[in-house]
Amino acid sequence: MLRARTLSGGVHLDDRKISSGKPVEFAGIPPEIVLFMSQHTGAPAKPVVKPGDRVLAGQVVGEAQSFVSAPVHASTSGIVKAVENRYHPILAKPSTAVVIEPDGKGEIWEGIAPGSDDISALSPEDIVKIARNAGLVGLGGAAFPTAVKLSPPKDKPIDVYLLNGAECEPYLTCDARLMVEEADEIVFGFMAMMKAVGAPRGIVCIEDNKPEAIMAMERAISGKPGIELCVLKTRYPQGGEKQLIQVVLGREVPPPPGLPFDVGVVVSNVGTAYALAKAIRTGMPLVDRVVTVTGAVRSPSNFRVLLGTPVSFLIEKAGGYAGEPGKVIMGGPMMGISLPRTDVPVVKGTTGIVVMTRDEVNLDKPLPCIRCGRCVDACPLRLLPVWIAAYSDRGTYEEAEKYRALDCCECGVCAYRCPSRRPLVQSIRLAKQAIMEERRARAQKASG
Amino acid sequence: MKRSVFYDFTKGFIEENPTFRLVIGMCPTLAVTTSVVNGFWMGLSVIFVLVFANVFVSLLRKVTPDEIRLPVFVILIATPVVIVELVMKAYLPAMYEILGIFVPLIVVNCIIIARAEAFAFKQPVLNSLADGLGIGAGYTLNLILISGIREFLGTGQITIGSFRFPATPFFEPAAVMLTPPGGFICLGLLMAILNVLLARRERKTKAQAV
Amino acid sequence: MTERLVVSPSPHWKTDKTVPALMLDVVIALMPAVIASIVFFGWKALAIILTSVSSAVISEAIYEKAVKRDITIKDYSAVITGILLAMNMPPGVPLWMPAIGSAFAIVIAKQLFGGLGCNFVNPALAGRAFLMAAWPLHMTRDWLAPGFFGGVDAGASPTPLAVLKGESSGVLPGLWDMLLGNRAGCLGETSIIAILIGGIYLIWKEVIDPRIPLGFIGTVFVLTWVFGKPGAFFQGNAVYHVLSGGLFLGAFFMATDYVTSPVTARGRLLMGIGCGAITVLIRLWGGYPEGVSYSILLMNLVTPLIDRVVVPRYYGWKHEARKEKAL
Ligand code: SF4
Ligand code: SF4
Repeated sequence: MLRARTLSGGVHLDDRKISSGKPVEFAGIPPEIVLFMSQHTGAPAKPVVKPGDRVLAGQVVGEAQSFVSAPVHASTSGIVKAVENRYHPILAKPSTAVVIEPDGKGEIWEGIAPGSDDISALSPEDIVKIARNAGLVGLGGAAFPTAVKLSPPKDKPIDVYLLNGAECEPYLTCDARLMVEEADEIVFGFMAMMKAVGAPRGIVCIEDNKPEAIMAMERAISGKPGIELCVLKTRYPQGGEKQLIQVVLGREVPPPPGLPFDVGVVVSNVGTAYALAKAIRTGMPLVDRVVTVTGAVRSPSNFRVLLGTPVSFLIEKAGGYAGEPGKVIMGGPMMGISLPRTDVPVVKGTTGIVVMTRDEVNLDKPLPCIRCGRCVDACPLRLLPVWIAAYSDRGTYEEAEKYRALDCCECGVCAYRCPSRRPLVQSIRLAKQAIMEERRARAQKASG
Repeated sequence: MKRSVFYDFTKGFIEENPTFRLVIGMCPTLAVTTSVVNGFWMGLSVIFVLVFANVFVSLLRKVTPDEIRLPVFVILIATPVVIVELVMKAYLPAMYEILGIFVPLIVVNCIIIARAEAFAFKQPVLNSLADGLGIGAGYTLNLILISGIREFLGTGQITIGSFRFPATPFFEPAAVMLTPPGGFICLGLLMAILNVLLARRERKTKAQAV
Repeated sequence: MTERLVVSPSPHWKTDKTVPALMLDVVIALMPAVIASIVFFGWKALAIILTSVSSAVISEAIYEKAVKRDITIKDYSAVITGILLAMNMPPGVPLWMPAIGSAFAIVIAKQLFGGLGCNFVNPALAGRAFLMAAWPLHMTRDWLAPGFFGGVDAGASPTPLAVLKGESSGVLPGLWDMLLGNRAGCLGETSIIAILIGGIYLIWKEVIDPRIPLGFIGTVFVLTWVFGKPGAFFQGNAVYHVLSGGLFLGAFFMATDYVTSPVTARGRLLMGIGCGAITVLIRLWGGYPEGVSYSILLMNLVTPLIDRVVVPRYYGWKHEARKEKAL
């Protein structure tokens, strides 16, 4: 078994994986399905249905518009109620969505044809095409279109494919459960991914707080050539792409716009591998995913959820709130987004719903920075969050840029560790936005 | 607009207080303010030089060509400085020993050249006289204030000739106040206090105006 | 549903190690040294510590009240300043000295610069330096010979460092007495073991970075070993130098002050080494027998510079030097 290096920086978090023993159950068909056209990194899809149309599960409702994009499929059968703007939980603003009123039958579209069980019969191009048509995106949260990831530039050979089962965010257990229950499918999908990019070597990376998942995956990969297991010491944010590459391979991805391709690596989430396996075998596109509903709910669970299901429906399914809710987070407590309301739907990148009680919500006023350097010690990218944030707070964004504000992956470790409770990530994010704005303005001037 | 002679006299105490507001003439301020007597004599010398220079610069302002005004200033300043120096050497040799180099250095004291350039060169004689007296008096008061605090804290009493107050120190003197760091600390605190008071006054007048 | 939800940017978890929690850890870590000082110097030590702490806390409260800032005495930082200042005083000083020193430390060195986080030198050390300049005789002569629980002898008793430097005559105490604290010196610097217990507690709790104390003490050890004996190399009494004076107290509790030490790990190592080098410079060739506090003050002043120059190699970036080598 591969020995992992230690992460630079990071923190050890109380992992609170209270739902890790709960098998994945189907959450059921909700009374309303809301499918955003923008559920991924890149250009939004274009709606191709009208109100009143009847759609079936797996039918395309939004078409991909460009190379970095992904189609959107109806997750169950029903009538299109509207094509309108709805509040988007990730973008935090209204965005185009296809709203479906399910008929509860879950009929499958006739266009879905069972695929093959044999990877060797597929060419790399076939696999990329399946991923594209299935609307696959990275299911670890970033939602980067998988087809793009599976087509590395020709001049950058890929020698290792990492399968990310680290799941370093506290609370979340969707990947862990999937590995326990569907290890063989995941490995099937993983082998297809390796084939697509031509990687001779594949490494499954799991943190050591998931012994069951490690056992299951170890069994599933045995006898599969070129695939190894790497058990990591639990530490946040090891599941970040750059961090994983560093601890497992000792390589460092060049700063943005550098990508893992540049060091011969591709990283995918276990959930994505599973979805790809399903798309290859059954022809079914990405219409559901596993979501952990946990925290202050009566029975924390892992659900198989149809995309577009409202968060409130899931919280009901998990027994409702335990105590007075203070915050509902889409994603994990470190990088997730807190929702202003719960009628928003699950999107492709939704890994979990974490409910925090009112008492757990921290509303302390930030104190002045005491220059303790704890944020610096913890930053996995070895940045200096204290200076980036200080310059950002003062509005001197050029200085913030010199301290590499743009490299920051917003993992949140710095703000977690700050004893003065300074909103470092928020300040850094502001600086990033200002810098990008400035660049765009400059580019426009140069071209115009 | 004709400036009020009275205003030109009084502004040197607070608004244009040379040490605390204009922050000029700092080297002698820090160097000689270890006892009230030193501060007093230093201040007196500066008043004399300042008035002399201001009056003559103002008198000659119409006939002085702009290009050579600085050399003219220097001569007009150096003259009273030499007078002070010689007089002091003759009648107050002990004081001259203590003030030493800082007396001839009045020539380059920026208070005087600044007043000549910024004020006397543009204003009538009477105003210049008032300005010289006012700024000089303000400066002297500053020196006495700073040196009073430093002497009191640093030696435990204030000594003027054979007069001592209090006769025996009632606390253990802090030697640091007589050293340059003590001077800086004292000066900084006084400056801060004055700024706070002025800011408060400004806020009040502003509030009244509204 | 009508639940009222809080919306705020990620991360949604924050550590429990807030400023007051960290500072409280420091207070706890100082307790062994406090107790040791009371054991060796009796009620006088207790009185000095209490005066110093209450003066620090009261001046902070009064000042913040006067300028209408939030009262921050609950964050324990003033308490630490008070204890540290007391630890830096000879046990025989009159009580008005810690009172004035603490007030100076809090008002002039800390609050006037903007309060916690903005001061550019360690307040306790600034207070000590002020007292040293103001009443040098008290600060250098009021040593007491230690005795158990109040066995306080009046009269001057030379510190080992002064003896080591040849300024006072006297016998050096044995190494065991140095370790335990059975020797003359400032309140908090005598018992190496007590300070070490506190220091190890802080390192274990990840409150301080071991780089500073290790760099500091290590540098002093090496340099005094090499240069410690005039006219001969590698024969200095390094063990003695390391154990005497305020080195341990300074290295574990004062050089590690967050506000006035660099924010990067390498910067902190540099800070430790710099402190050590300056200390040795002062001890061996300077005008004072002890240089720990001045060395820390000097390095405090260099800290912004270190922070500017010592930046880590950001993830994915190559050092310029390495790039050249690769070419
Ligand atoms: S959020 Fe950015 S600056 Fe903060 S620790 Fe993560 S990468 Fe570093
Ligand atoms: S962790 Fe917070 S208090 Fe410490 S240096 Fe960073 S921003 Fe400042």
